[in-house]
Amino acid sequence: MALILLVITPIIAVLLSLAVPRKIWPLELIAAMAAPIELGSLIMSAISVLGQKSYSFGSFLSLDPLGTIVLSTIVVVGFAASYYSIGYLRREVQKEIIGFRRVRQYFVLFHLFLLAMFFAVTTTNPILTWLSIEATTLATAFLISFYNKPSAMEAAWKYLIINSIGLSLGLFGTLLFLSPTMNLAADSFISWQVLLANAHLLNPLLAKIAFVFVLIGYGTKAGLAPMHTWLPDAHSKAPSPVSALLSGALLNVALMAILRYKAVADITVGPLFSQNLLILFGAMSVVIPAFIIVIQKNYKRLFAYSSIEHMGIMALGFGFGGLGTFAALLHMIYHSLTKSTLFFSAGNIFLKYSSTKIYNVKGTLTVLPITGIILLIGFLAIIGMPPFGIFMTEFYILTSGMAAYPLVVVGILIALAIIFVGFLRHTTNMALGPNIENVPVGESNYLTVIPAIFLLSLFVIISIFLPEPVKSLVQQASLLVK
Amino acid sequence: MHYLTPQISLIFSTLIFGTVVLLNLTKKDSIAVKLYMLQSAAIAILLLLSSFQKLSLLLLIAIIATIAVKVVFAPYFFLKLIKRHPSNFSHSTFLNTPLTVAVMVLLSILTQASFFKPLIFLSPSSQDLLFISMATILISLFLSINRKGALSQALGVLSLENSIVSFALFAGLEQSPALQLGITASIFIWVTIASIFTTMIFRQFGSLDVSSMRELTE
Repeated sequence: MALILLVITPIIAVLLSLAVPRKIWPLELIAAMAAPIELGSLIMSAISVLGQKSYSFGSFLSLDPLGTIVLSTIVVVGFAASYYSIGYLRREVQKEIIGFRRVRQYFVLFHLFLLAMFFAVTTTNPILTWLSIEATTLATAFLISFYNKPSAMEAAWKYLIINSIGLSLGLFGTLLFLSPTMNLAADSFISWQVLLANAHLLNPLLAKIAFVFVLIGYGTKAGLAPMHTWLPDAHSKAPSPVSALLSGALLNVALMAILRYKAVADITVGPLFSQNLLILFGAMSVVIPAFIIVIQKNYKRLFAYSSIEHMGIMALGFGFGGLGTFAALLHMIYHSLTKSTLFFSAGNIFLKYSSTKIYNVKGTLTVLPITGIILLIGFLAIIGMPPFGIFMTEFYILTSGMAAYPLVVVGILIALAIIFVGFLRHTTNMALGPNIENVPVGESNYLTVIPAIFLLSLFVIISIFLPEPVKSLVQQASLLVK
Repeated sequence: MHYLTPQISLIFSTLIFGTVVLLNLTKKDSIAVKLYMLQSAAIAILLLLSSFQKLSLLLLIAIIATIAVKVVFAPYFFLKLIKRHPSNFSHSTFLNTPLTVAVMVLLSILTQASFFKPLIFLSPSSQDLLFISMATILISLFLSINRKGALSQALGVLSLENSIVSFALFAGLEQSPALQLGITASIFIWVTIASIFTTMIFRQFGSLDVSSMRELTE
């Protein structure tokens, strides 16, 4: 029941939002009411998964530990982004940048985006997962072009074309993976479980081709280099709460799809093939952004490149296997919370300074006292400083690869050092220094601050003390990925 | 009785391959749209022929939806756009015609590489069809990358999807009618969004040449 409630809530939110005439507050109310219902549904579903290792509604919707982790990142970031959106859009309306129609368009697409992600994670059918991920592209294209500026249009078009090509290749890989199930009854429903059960029937050479296409296809959506080119543009041009969801939730959904196929491919050809590919793409995703981060001039693009880097670290963890898998799953949670917090901070800075250029932003600690502190803590967390959780997960991931891939690990350490220097330079420039532009001091409104504090607090708490249910879920999920 | 005989399959796979090649070479957008229309019609006929033995109401609806979206709706939308902005469509490519032909030849040869050989396990009797379809997929992919026009890129994506469907048909990987309907619905939405974006791009940039979009260079 909880799963159906989770899927129905955004549908109702969309319909109600479409029916709202001329007033913004009902749209805000709908978003504010949908978010806790979705969070409640997640908690109920997660409790069931913890008890029974999986939780299903009929044969169409199901959650396993891996799905629960990814769903948690979507729902928790979505919960915070719902409230943040209210505060963020209120400020944009005050500035007369947008009006009622744009706000309604925003919330309709926002709920559709959440719906598509919920469905991608909970559906039991690989083709429906593909369709849902494709639907996320369609729902978010207009959110990326929300500001209707030439740069936003360019970002959205790039996003649409590159992701559609990527997902088409992903569909091709999916069809190849489904080939052993074609002899089953015509109307039988092919689920992930059926796919896994028939994996031994898949020709090993064919499985290799299929996994390459899936990795390139869904890897495009997950922002893995070198297919990442859409990501910095889309994440930097979208409104900040959407950037938070793109980075903190959508990338995980695409990575989850890759991991599901990895499990199938590993049965057919053994784990080494998929692991080597993940290490290759993971390493590229860490090294390429490292150099761009250093010379970056736009703070939202800085965070976007950091997302590519962290997806690379996760891919490395899954590639190294063993403890790396456990750490990569935990890294997924930590990254979602931290990066969303940083994008919320970026939104607050943008609302105050009306610029995304790093050199236009000085003295955030003075101008935005709370956001400034959140930005600094978020910066320390995202670059992996102890005692934050990302330090531990990166340490475990690199340790797990040290014996078998020492050169890769050394290369990654150098890239991480470069990223540290780049981030340090940019963040100190933004946080410290005088308020030379005489920007009015003070936060825009409490709704743009509380969601960021909520996510950051959650991150700090589970960094210091990892609750037993979360640990148990991650352990169970890592067994599925192995 | 099997309506999709090897001879008919070969004719259709060659036709689809031919449309993709011509899509890469044509200099007129209206011709490109008509080529896509022809390609989609070929796919719809293939779907119909492959499913005659197990034809159900849902399957019939899926085929009709495919025809409605790919053969009627998408071309209509694109032709309307061309009519609205007749002189602003870019049909230029990043590579010139001889190089474009050379790349297409190379991509066709590439399908004979050992990497793709295992594809014959899917349907050993349709070996040639599978390689032609694989070449069609790669050349469609190249179409999206090589073209500078927004409309041509969109046609490239749609042609890629058609190529994958034709591969699936020849390899015996057809999905259930319900899933086919879902995929068709997503294409319908995709075409609508791509058309809206094409208009918005024209409004913002005064051109549909994507190489004029240079706001986001690093």
